[in-house]
Amino acid sequence: MTQTRRDVMAATLGLTAATGLTVRIGQAQAPAEVKVGLLVPLSGPWARFGEIMRRGAELAVRHINERGGVAALNGARMRLVVLDAGDSTEKAKNAAQRMVAQEPDMVAATGAYLSSFTLAATEVTERAELLMLTLSYSDLITGRGFRYVFQTSSRAGDQAREAIPTLMQLAQSASGRRPETVGILTDNTAASISFVEPIRQEAQARFGVRVVVDETFTPPLSDATQLVQRIRSRRPDMLIFPVTVISDAKLVIEKMNEFGLGRGRLPTIANGIAVAQTDMLQNVGAEQLEGLMTVVANWDAKGQEQIIEEWRRETNEPWMTQNAISTYGDMWIVKYALEAARRADRNAVAQAIRTMDVTDGPAAYFPGRRIKFDANGLRENAGLMVVQWQGGRPVTVYPSQSAVAEAVWPRRT
Amino acid sequence: MFVPRPLLRTVLPVAAFLALWALAFLLVTNSYYRLVLTIVPIWAVFGLAWNLLSGYSGLISFGHASFFGLGAYAVALAFAEWHVSPWIGIPVAGLLGCLAGVVIGVPTFRLRGHYFALAMLAYPLALLHVFLWLGYQEVSLPMRREDGPAFMQFADARIYGWIAVALLGGAMALTIAVERARFGLSLIAIKQNEAAAEAAGIDTWRTKLVAIVMSGGLASAIGGFYAVILLVVTPEAVFGMLVSAQALTVTMFGGIATPWGPVIGSVVLIPLSEVLQAELGATIPGIQGFVFGAAIIAVVLVAPEGVFWRVADALARRRAPPAPEASAVEAPTDAAPPRTQPAADAPVILEVRNLSKSFSGLRAVQQMSFAVRQGEILGIIGPNGAGKTTVFNLLNGFLRPDEGEILLEGRSIVGWRPHKVCRAGAGRTFQIMRPFPRLTIADNVMVGAFARTRTLDEARAVTADALRLVGLDRDVRQLAGGLTNLQLRLMEIARALAGQPRILLLDETLAGLGAPEVEVLLVVIRRLAARGITIVIIEHTMHAMVRLVDRFIVLDHGALLSEGAPADVMRNPAVIEAYLGKKWQRADA
Repeated sequence: MTQTRRDVMAATLGLTAATGLTVRIGQAQAPAEVKVGLLVPLSGPWARFGEIMRRGAELAVRHINERGGVAALNGARMRLVVLDAGDSTEKAKNAAQRMVAQEPDMVAATGAYLSSFTLAATEVTERAELLMLTLSYSDLITGRGFRYVFQTSSRAGDQAREAIPTLMQLAQSASGRRPETVGILTDNTAASISFVEPIRQEAQARFGVRVVVDETFTPPLSDATQLVQRIRSRRPDMLIFPVTVISDAKLVIEKMNEFGLGRGRLPTIANGIAVAQTDMLQNVGAEQLEGLMTVVANWDAKGQEQIIEEWRRETNEPWMTQNAISTYGDMWIVKYALEAARRADRNAVAQAIRTMDVTDGPAAYFPGRRIKFDANGLRENAGLMVVQWQGGRPVTVYPSQSAVAEAVWPRRT
Repeated sequence: MFVPRPLLRTVLPVAAFLALWALAFLLVTNSYYRLVLTIVPIWAVFGLAWNLLSGYSGLISFGHASFFGLGAYAVALAFAEWHVSPWIGIPVAGLLGCLAGVVIGVPTFRLRGHYFALAMLAYPLALLHVFLWLGYQEVSLPMRREDGPAFMQFADARIYGWIAVALLGGAMALTIAVERARFGLSLIAIKQNEAAAEAAGIDTWRTKLVAIVMSGGLASAIGGFYAVILLVVTPEAVFGMLVSAQALTVTMFGGIATPWGPVIGSVVLIPLSEVLQAELGATIPGIQGFVFGAAIIAVVLVAPEGVFWRVADALARRRAPPAPEASAVEAPTDAAPPRTQPAADAPVILEVRNLSKSFSGLRAVQQMSFAVRQGEILGIIGPNGAGKTTVFNLLNGFLRPDEGEILLEGRSIVGWRPHKVCRAGAGRTFQIMRPFPRLTIADNVMVGAFARTRTLDEARAVTADALRLVGLDRDVRQLAGGLTNLQLRLMEIARALAGQPRILLLDETLAGLGAPEVEVLLVVIRRLAARGITIVIIEHTMHAMVRLVDRFIVLDHGALLSEGAPADVMRNPAVIEAYLGKKWQRADA
């Protein structure tokens, strides 16, 4: 009896050892897991955005693993390695250095939210030949001749240049006529100024749109009455309103509502995700936000309903925003590249991304619905999205393949 | 300073530390740890730059990011726009920092204390917005794939580390050189008491300006190197509040006014912050900042002057038992040498004509005229508020008279700054004593010796002589912070003496002393007079004064009331009335 039990135990042990051995041999050929880095600010003033990106990445990794992991690597699971980029360029760079030093088998990474963080972090990843996907806007990111950085968003300069033709097209299809005049109301922060500059210079010459009112203010505003009065007296067909400070947005939007320009009566277009945050709902209210549009590089879009629904259930965040959806998509890009490379090797993965040209799979999570990077790593025809507040939600209204609703643009009689 | 520390004993630990740090790059292979090892000396140098101005002179700057950021942008823009290598860019950035030091220092030194600190805060904030407005949100240092080393770009990351260590060596050497020069002692004197330093003959304005120029140059140069390491320069990263704060944090943590302070601060805090960021950043985001802050608060509570001083004080206490109480000054054994009163026709050394000064309506001194003869001991007496100290402040240049003339040996000194008056031969002491508490007795006195000496050795000789003259030559190494009232008075006199004055203004030197101590001082003052130094003394203690002075002048309500030999003045009814009131005068009459 005792003898038998001992035999059984020995056999079990032997079997376990043998199994362990097989697994280890298997790992040598195709690893059981593939590491992907996420380098985003998780502390400091940008922590909330980084947190949203992390949850987007986690959701994608879970989806990928639930659906069988990386098939080409015998179903290897993806594992997310999260690093905090902190609140300064230096910390972001240090974190990138830590990432490449301590995770030599990482195949790809995404980050680092702020352009300046991304610029610093990619100086490290470039030298380590680790590919880095980013949603940052800066023109510099893919302007340095780097070979391992891939920018999925439209660059700031391109966004600015494309904004007017995009809006003209949108107005045409929504209202049946092209706007002839435009007003500009901008704060004097760098991002806003660089957005309005091409409009000031090119709107008239290239698109025949006259700038009839052009006001610049320094945040924070204490009162928006005079600014809004001047706009009302000039009555432009649309208003370009890049704003970075929530309190300024609130003052202007409330005043426009008071003056009868709100709720889309004067089509008003902001830039960036600031005015489409959930904070705006609490600060300004759905009523007054109705009709406000903003130009962004990516947003929750058609075809992503299931993901968004799951996101909402899990995070209690009402929508994903550019940060979550782009990071979600980045994970699928890496997965796609791993399938193509058939190796968990960072250079092979980078090469696969360089030659990638897809209109399905990961392309579903980006405007333009195509993923092809140019020689500099910039996604070709990255394009824009226009989001409009409708019924208390910012919904994508452009481009049509991503739009979940029609743009509301007043028809002038 | 007075007792010079052997250079080797100062330099050897520094050299050993730098060698060890450089060696660490050979042992560490992890690229992340190498980066941290490179960043530590960078912040240490920035801390040393801040220390050169704020640590030694006490002018707290909350805005050293101005220099740091200008240096970083100079290097980055020169590289990105004009392809200038950082090998040239960094020295140029240093010069630019020196220039910025002048531009910032000249207007800002008009402010003192908290106002100076706050004004300094404004510069980086303004510069941050200027660079945003210029469109330099992000400046990236281009990657040179072929000729990297010519542009300070190395495949081997250890070289960055070694450059950082070399820069740290340079910054520590500069700090040590400053500490060992009279310039350094002048800065410390300014920190401990700017008015006393000025009165002791130090051109405080120029000294401060040189300090900010050196500090700015160093901060800019290291800012330039920081750009080379970070490769991306943004206004927030180099002009931000956190940058200025970093200099203060590492220095205050490690120890102010020592070359080791910023180094200790960086060596502890930078890796600590990185470890916390790495270990906690992704799991409990934000907690690392809290832990870091708590660690700093804890250390500041335990070691308010920084780790270095805490350790140094503890070692000093263990090494040397407390100085014996017997070091209190005993009465000089030798009586004062005999002296004869100056003749009535002795030359006039100091002459005051029609001197007036008002403080918004209050006429503190009105139409005062008197003369002091060479070799005389003149007593100035008068009730509280009579204007005695105001007269001294007018004489040595702290105040500028509204009208009237002051002639020192025939030359008008109206409008001269105090250090110039001092150098011209008029020394003074203060009613409220103004010692430099963190300096030894000898160094306190030596500050005064810089007024009229050129070399350190000369200054040491003059200091030793002054100490001997007042009888403090036995406890030269004692810190001024722990002295008795009498010792402080004597030390102040010695400091004034070290300036080799021809005339000495003593402001209530006997105040607060007991009778035996007064006797000690009287002997010392007579001894000075016997040396031919003219003495003008303000005093309340009449019985002592009567025995000391050759002549009195009596002030009341800012005007000259009476003048004459002690016996005559004491009998003057007007004087008695001014001091004691009308009733006493009548009773006496």
